Amino acid sequence: MILTLQTPRPLSRLPRFLPFSTNASITLNQSQPATCTSPPPPHSQILSTRHSLLSRQFSAADLLRSHLNRLNLTEPHLRSFLHLPDPSDLLAQADSLDRRIAAGEDVGPLAGVLVAVKDNICTADMPSTGGSRILEGYRPPFDATAVKRAKELGAIVVGKTNLDEFGMGSTTEGSAFQVTANPWDLSRVPGGSSGGSAAAVSARQCVVSLGSDTGGSVRQPASFCGVVGLKPTYGRVSRFGLMAYASSLDTIGCFGSSVADAGILLHAISGHDRFDATSSNQDVPNFLSHFVSASSFESKPLKGLRVGLIRETIGDGVDAGVISAIHSAASHFEELGCSVNEVSLPSFSLGLPAYYILASSESSSNLSRYDGIRYGNQVYADELDSLYGSSRANGFGSEVKMRILMGTYALSAGYYDAYYKRAQQVRTIIRNSFTEALNQNDILISPAAPSPAYKIGEKKNDPLAMYAGDIMTVNVNLAGLPALVLPCGFVEGGTAGLPIGLQMIGAAFGEEELLRVGHIFEQTLENCRFVPPIIAEDIAS
Amino acid sequence: MGGVGAMVKGASYSYAVFCGSFLRSPRLSFSIHNKKKLLKFRSFSSKSTCSSLQPPDVSRLAKTAQISLTPDEVEEFAPKIQQVIDWFGQLQDVDLQSVEPSIRAETENNLRDNVPETFDHRDAMIGAVPSYEEPYIKVPRVLSMD
Repeated sequence: MILTLQTPRPLSRLPRFLPFSTNASITLNQSQPATCTSPPPPHSQILSTRHSLLSRQFSAADLLRSHLNRLNLTEPHLRSFLHLPDPSDLLAQADSLDRRIAAGEDVGPLAGVLVAVKDNICTADMPSTGGSRILEGYRPPFDATAVKRAKELGAIVVGKTNLDEFGMGSTTEGSAFQVTANPWDLSRVPGGSSGGSAAAVSARQCVVSLGSDTGGSVRQPASFCGVVGLKPTYGRVSRFGLMAYASSLDTIGCFGSSVADAGILLHAISGHDRFDATSSNQDVPNFLSHFVSASSFESKPLKGLRVGLIRETIGDGVDAGVISAIHSAASHFEELGCSVNEVSLPSFSLGLPAYYILASSESSSNLSRYDGIRYGNQVYADELDSLYGSSRANGFGSEVKMRILMGTYALSAGYYDAYYKRAQQVRTIIRNSFTEALNQNDILISPAAPSPAYKIGEKKNDPLAMYAGDIMTVNVNLAGLPALVLPCGFVEGGTAGLPIGLQMIGAAFGEEELLRVGHIFEQTLENCRFVPPIIAEDIAS
Repeated sequence: MGGVGAMVKGASYSYAVFCGSFLRSPRLSFSIHNKKKLLKFRSFSSKSTCSSLQPPDVSRLAKTAQISLTPDEVEEFAPKIQQVIDWFGQLQDVDLQSVEPSIRAETENNLRDNVPETFDHRDAMIGAVPSYEEPYIKVPRVLSMD
């Protein structure tokens, strides 16, 4: 097992990454010893931050400065962020929080928590480009509901992260602006489309982040970057302020370095929103009650849980190392008291073409709003159609153009029945097959991706090869179900191994159960600490 | 315990296998009843996709989508789009009789009251439009279509 060597960090001690430490340099570690000591897995950065802030062990301003220090040192290598605000604005927010804490005022559950936001989610006080030149410099006049709710609960938005343009892509190479690197191996991609948000959490540039997941864009980067990624049920989180890609599939999701952190962020942003007619009226249960210390677990804490391993995800075309990691995860579930069985989902492989038909079609409609007239960058012409044509040609990247054209084709008069309608029928079949499987199992598991992170440039010219990597994730979006990805192991690669994520799929609105089970799985996973080498020395715990 | 798998000898190998298995005709494992229907259907269907569908004409599609592509772009995109559309065609071979299409996953009835209201940030949005002349957004002339 190739791992970084970590020393344990008890919660009550001041974290070493505060500015008081003398070692301010980051070295790119060339070799790591292949031993593992086992420090306790991270419980919750958010909960331990809250404890430390309220007991005055350190201040929000100190916490912010130490994160910004790490961010400034790692960002030239990673390029996770498209926009970083003036640090003095952030410090003003942190100082204000510190004053309120000193005055004994109540502060929200996300007080002092540094949140990065994917750049296709609108933020009023920062540019929101969607990773596209057509919105370069665009500042929305409102916050997305998810951002608004996080800020109301005390979160500090630390910047906007890089993405594939408008969410279309699986590597973040499709950004119009820059390529983000994977903190585990700078020659590899962080995944996509929420690659910047995943890399930022992985490198501890921030505590948690928001991404969007339409076909796996939170879960696959979580797997590639060794962090937790949580896709909620469609309708659990308002899409208001999320730049629409495929409206029947889009969700806003959360990244964290632990299941508890992703869950706490999800709880903060969930719930009905009158500005999103597809947002659900279902109650949001109190997920937080499940994030208890491992010492309080019973000996078989998941006794009786029925886990279904999706047979179609561990066969041909999946890396041997990935399959091995998933089988080990299944054994871990059995140690926790679960019964693990293989389950087959009929028509599993139909989901991929169905997804791409639906997503391209819906995106061709959604992206028609970018016409250079009311907002966005305009290429002037003295005739309207030419203005549209030139502005869009100039503003959109190649992948976006191709998907719009494919969607236009699929929705052309006479072709609707052949493509879009058939894809919707396949959606019904896939929903039904998940419903049946989830009647016989409490959760389903699979890899989050068929391989670890690709090399930068590997998938650039072959659309079908890139789409193929989404096979593990798209069906969950078609069925609208919630899914949690957490790092469960490594394969060889990079300087300290490449992380592999386990995907856990739950019933509709079953995030509470997913988080309860995921937390227990994570807290009992021995010998695995997911801190990438680029920051191993800095974290020193 | 996470596994250290065998070293992947070159990503291209695993992807060739992978693309092959997932991108060829889908593995169809329906119930026995559907299998019989499917076999009957497949014996009459042709190998290629529906012959009434014209292949994508990228220039025409670009005009419909209001994107002015350069001739180089048309040449670059056409084979890739063709490849993906062909791949979409595998849905033609699936027996979908009597399957209802789903618009999306969940369908709660969440309509609000049919009462007009003004969005809080309307003024800011209008203010950001470069060529607004109350109450119109000014645009260049529209030529009549040929």
